[in-house]
Amino acid sequence: MRFKTDLKNVRTFSKLTAALNSLEKIAWVRLDDDTVRFTVIPDTGSQVWASLSVDLIFDNYHIESAEANNTINFELPLGPLQRALKSAVGSSYANLRLTKRDGLPMLSMTIHTMTKDGNGPGPGLGGPNRATTTANADPDAGLLGLPSSTADFTQESLELTMKREREKIITQDIPVRVLHPDTVETIMQPKVREPDVHIQLPPLLQLKAISDRFTKLAVTAASSSGNTRGGGGGTGSGAGGLGGSSSPKLTLSANMHGSLRLRLTTETLDITSVWHGLENPELDPTQLAVPLEEHPSTVFKEAGPDRWATVRVDGKDWSRVLSVGRLEGRVIACFADEHALILYVYVPHVDDVGMEDVVTYYVTSFSA
Amino acid sequence: MVVLNFTLSEEGVAVLHDALACMFKFSDDVCLEARKDKLTLTTLNISKSAYVCFSFAANRFFSRYSFEGTPQYRERFFCQLYIRSLLTIFRARQGSGDLSRERDASIDSCDVAIDDGVGKKSRLVARVSFRNGITASHSLPYEVQPPIHAKFNKAEATNHWVISSRTLRQLMDHFGPGIELLDINTDEEARVVNFTCFTEKVQKRGALNNEAVLKKPLHTNIAVEMDEFDNVEVQDKLHIIISVKDFRGILQHAQMTSGALTSSYSNPGRPMKLSYGTDGVLCEFILMTVGEKDALTQKHKNPRGGVAKVTPAPQLDAASHRGSSVTGGNQPEPPALRPPQHKTPIRTRHPAFEMRPSPVPPPATTRSDSLFVDQDENDEQWEPVNPDEEEEEDTGRLEWNATDEPNPSTLRIGSYVSKPAETEEAPPERLASGLEPTQRLSEVRRFGLFSP
Repeated sequence: MRFKTDLKNVRTFSKLTAALNSLEKIAWVRLDDDTVRFTVIPDTGSQVWASLSVDLIFDNYHIESAEANNTINFELPLGPLQRALKSAVGSSYANLRLTKRDGLPMLSMTIHTMTKDGNGPGPGLGGPNRATTTANADPDAGLLGLPSSTADFTQESLELTMKREREKIITQDIPVRVLHPDTVETIMQPKVREPDVHIQLPPLLQLKAISDRFTKLAVTAASSSGNTRGGGGGTGSGAGGLGGSSSPKLTLSANMHGSLRLRLTTETLDITSVWHGLENPELDPTQLAVPLEEHPSTVFKEAGPDRWATVRVDGKDWSRVLSVGRLEGRVIACFADEHALILYVYVPHVDDVGMEDVVTYYVTSFSA
Repeated sequence: MVVLNFTLSEEGVAVLHDALACMFKFSDDVCLEARKDKLTLTTLNISKSAYVCFSFAANRFFSRYSFEGTPQYRERFFCQLYIRSLLTIFRARQGSGDLSRERDASIDSCDVAIDDGVGKKSRLVARVSFRNGITASHSLPYEVQPPIHAKFNKAEATNHWVISSRTLRQLMDHFGPGIELLDINTDEEARVVNFTCFTEKVQKRGALNNEAVLKKPLHTNIAVEMDEFDNVEVQDKLHIIISVKDFRGILQHAQMTSGALTSSYSNPGRPMKLSYGTDGVLCEFILMTVGEKDALTQKHKNPRGGVAKVTPAPQLDAASHRGSSVTGGNQPEPPALRPPQHKTPIRTRHPAFEMRPSPVPPPATTRSDSLFVDQDENDEQWEPVNPDEEEEEDTGRLEWNATDEPNPSTLRIGSYVSKPAETEEAPPERLASGLEPTQRLSEVRRFGLFSP
């Protein structure tokens, strides 16, 4: 079993890792000849399937496996990966390979990099400033007071600033657990019926800021009216639908006429944000299982702008999902009314205009 | 009778504060030792494996300095104080940006006096004068206790190197959280010095199928070309291992000097000395290194296996100066007489390493950078909202259908968007912060919330 590759677009890789890491600590990675797939499936919360073509983030990619279709499956902790990628951002060269250390499998990242700002003079307690402000005008000052070694220090530091900075080679070993194909073949990507509404989301930073604000308001509202609800006993079902204290639910709706609605209702407040003029991308009839005119979205479109497809999401989970906005790709949301919400996040290739990869979010939704 | 009296400039106060903040990472109290020519602050950590010493030259660091020997304290005066109280006194006050004299709460100067003698209350009095005319006086009780100095044998420490402290500090950025030990070793062939960080917490071989394997922290190695060092003279393949936490604490302070840091050491299980200095201040650290045999044992064997050997953790050799004050002089440490070396391999000092909860970081001044790499480009705005940490209830969660039915949607997502170029939204505008409940209409427009 061999895997070795150079890294490219480290920033994209790093952002993707950060987005995944906000949902779950460990990812399942599946590599084959042309795809690298990251999957996170949290116990509770939204799951992500990121299928990327190898050349989005890898270069000089080599894979060799005895398993069918030349695949390698392993579990990878995202925190250490993110930390390692941070070292690789801005590096001159980085590669990744599967190896073993002390008998344990490791994903080893080798990075050639410089330190951030070299030996440039910096602010601090040293330097000539200090000398002029605190040194008394005593000609003998240098000879008194300090152990003799101090004199050496000043000389050395002068020399040092002349030195050219060298490239450092950093090796980051991330522990992994190689998975047998049998253990992963049962994990299936979720199946969803044809969506009723598909719509391009507004800029995620905006959507996230407002969603987070709603979530915080729900928590505040719940805690301020908490006294009247009678202590911490909390009948779960009652609190949940109303945006209870522990996990406020946001209601998301969209229509086939360019509108997206975000709504929060609690006992004490009811707030709504609506976006208009968003795009409902057109479907490609050749790729549909049903004729376009019979597709649910056509039905919704004909029903007019008052026909909304609605799902309820958990405020905190939704916030973690929206963290994918850091990838700065277009996001298409697919609503199956009262059933499911899926986000498709398009990650453009930096060096191949027009090429895109897709990260799919299966957002956890709740019944009313 | 006033034994010690000195005045610090604003900058001097800041330097003193930085030094104390650094010491606070090692211990709760500090020993102050005053002589005619210098003021020395020292501390030893609780496991006696790290010793810190800052020396301030009387004639270069202070605006004014006077030490009057009394019959009781002829050569030197010493006392022990709580670092926390000193940090509060010497904390920098921000000038409010308002230039009017009344509002400028920055420190102008600071007078410190110690009045001691028979029949006197032992107090350190610090009088801080602010630019706005206010003077604050603090009176601290202290304990008269001779300082403990760690011994370091210069002659024995044949391995040494010098490198820019900023470069070294930046290397630490690459080490992940959760690591404990730093192994410094050289490779003559490759002409590099390796800094390797690792931990020994999860090291069970039988745990292959356990998720614990994935919880191991990042294992990081950084190879730095010898050319980047000055005066490298190190025995090839020698591994010297110290605590990462101590090293980080030192570098956090060292980087502020932007000077060179000198390191010298002999063998595993023997002390290592790190030092750097600037005009008027010399900073020295003596760290106990982990015994080599133990490091090897721990690397290749299950450290928890078998009966744990209870050998005393190696500690720095200490010498109390109570009796030897007359011979003291300028020499910080005379080449020490060593107790006979342990014949059995000494266990790592870590079992005895009592890690205190990490102290509150010193207030962020413009000069203290974080030990960690900056989050690139406002990344925290993407962090999930987290109003509270309560467990969520599962109410009416809709489950995904994971049956093997043909999946109509997933595989041809690309076709949802037929004309990507024309419909591309402008890249999301970065909001400096979250949205407030009410905004000016003009501010909100740019977010595209309302049509113009």
